[in-house]
Amino acid sequence: MSLAAGRQGAAIACGALLRRDLRGVLRSRSQLYSSMLFPLILLAVLGTGVSEGLDPSHVRDGDYVTFLVPGVMAMTLLFSSTFSSASYYHDRDSGLLRVMLASPQTPAVILTGKALAGVTIGSLQALIVLGVVSVLPGIDLEWQYGVAGGVGLTLVALLLLALLLNGFAQLLATRIRTMQGFHLVMNLLLFPLLFVSGAFFPIDELPAWLKALAYANPITYAVDLLQLSLYAESSDGFIGIPIDLAVLGALSVALFLGGVRRDPGALP
Amino acid sequence: MAAQTTAAPPATALAASVEGVTFSYPTPEGERLALDSLTLEVPAGGVLGLLGPNGSGKSTLLSILACLRQPAAGRVTVLGETPSAALRARIGVLFQETCLDPLMTPRETLALVGRLHGLGGHDLRQRIDSLLDAVGLATRANALISTLSGGMKRRLELARVLLHSPGLLLLDEPTTGVDPDAEAAVWSLIGNANRDGVTVVLATNNVAEADRRCDRVAFLHEGRLAAEGAPAELKAGLKRDSVLVDWPDVASPLVDEISGWDGVGAMRWSPPTLHATVDDASRFVPRLFALAGPAQTGARRGGIRGVRIRESTLEDAYFDIVGAAISGGGDA
Repeated sequence: MSLAAGRQGAAIACGALLRRDLRGVLRSRSQLYSSMLFPLILLAVLGTGVSEGLDPSHVRDGDYVTFLVPGVMAMTLLFSSTFSSASYYHDRDSGLLRVMLASPQTPAVILTGKALAGVTIGSLQALIVLGVVSVLPGIDLEWQYGVAGGVGLTLVALLLLALLLNGFAQLLATRIRTMQGFHLVMNLLLFPLLFVSGAFFPIDELPAWLKALAYANPITYAVDLLQLSLYAESSDGFIGIPIDLAVLGALSVALFLGGVRRDPGALP
Repeated sequence: MAAQTTAAPPATALAASVEGVTFSYPTPEGERLALDSLTLEVPAGGVLGLLGPNGSGKSTLLSILACLRQPAAGRVTVLGETPSAALRARIGVLFQETCLDPLMTPRETLALVGRLHGLGGHDLRQRIDSLLDAVGLATRANALISTLSGGMKRRLELARVLLHSPGLLLLDEPTTGVDPDAEAAVWSLIGNANRDGVTVVLATNNVAEADRRCDRVAFLHEGRLAAEGAPAELKAGLKRDSVLVDWPDVASPLVDEISGWDGVGAMRWSPPTLHATVDDASRFVPRLFALAGPAQTGARRGGIRGVRIRESTLEDAYFDIVGAAISGGGDA
């Protein structure tokens, strides 16, 4: 097989795996609806509760609900990546992963196809959340780079974060034998990272030790990018696009490649 | 134990060969040897059965021929090439366990597998339709796999392994757990593929299936080749009859005495059954009852609860050659 034919075959295989996982999500209505409803409920309850019950002077116009939008999008992506990577266990346990590995595609192509499905599904879900909240009354997105620029930057932020999360989830999934263990570890690692990413409260007012943790956290840079695209009036008080893209880009590529190069370990 | 090998058929072309292949699985207690310097040739265009108990190395050998595992030592050639990912495009593998996503439909499954094999477009759709028709699943093409019966699932899996027109079919227990009708349908499809020139390697511990379906059979025992040949050749040196005596409390000296009788071949005591291969059961059984029947007294009296006699099969040939039964053990 020539290199070009091999690459074309790999691209077709990745496309087939992506379509198959997308179809699976659309078919699993409960997973789809709950993953979409949860962030909206969080926005309504947590956002309103904090806006009304706490001093929200640290966020723009005292509007905590709008502040929460980028964070909720990051959270949607995080949940989606966890669910998508759980499909690795479904395929392994049903035996379909063995069938995939018995095809002429390399394990890296199979895992890339599955990870790209996770990236696509997670990004789409986060974009749908954005689409819904942007037309809700009470949500006042700033779009400092214009709607087109903001959507473009949002898309980049979501794709990079999705690559990072799916690569990380793939790394874990190929090491942890049970789905229960996988969910436990994902939640244990990713929830604290989400909490200290600036998704739920601004990081510039945090104590030094927590601020240091936030800057060591890759999700912080994705949230910063999303906030700059959608919420911020200017880049003052934010990390900034160049640093966000550099940190997030490097980590995303490293984790994604690390994830898809693992031995899927599906053979008995 | 030196492998007993009868003459290969006139066809000289080989679909696959392994030479001195060794493979081990890592376990918490250390390495577990699954294949031990195994050498075997798979003639092109035939049906070769791999017969042996669980743990004899059949599935491991199939996974090496399927280019899914690399041996620690030895040489492997499949369809004239050294194993590679690209070579898997010419091999169809049917795993022992069902390997289907219950939340997909038969058509979606075949479309996914087709694309993984580089197929697509109108040709793939036509091939899927034709195969679904051939395996009798055309009317269930868009039903969720979770709603199919076990036999339907096995037929779908066979359609899956035939989808990319492989030159070599590797089948691991293809009819385990399916009803007789589904078994006949599965073998009809395999037979058609074989008549079209596809080489079949069948791993099984179903002796009757190997005897009936295979041109040649290889006996595997503890990762080594114990014997190889046509079923009739392997059975040629056997005693004619196989006698199974239900005898829970047989004394060891009696077994020794019986094994010394003329016309008695291999004997195995597997409580509560004494299994003997004999030249002539009609002479052996009366002599057995004369030795330990109800008329006897003392330690020799009674104890025989029943006797079954059948013609010797490949299982007896395996027993004769290997000195162990096909049933029992752990999987490999």
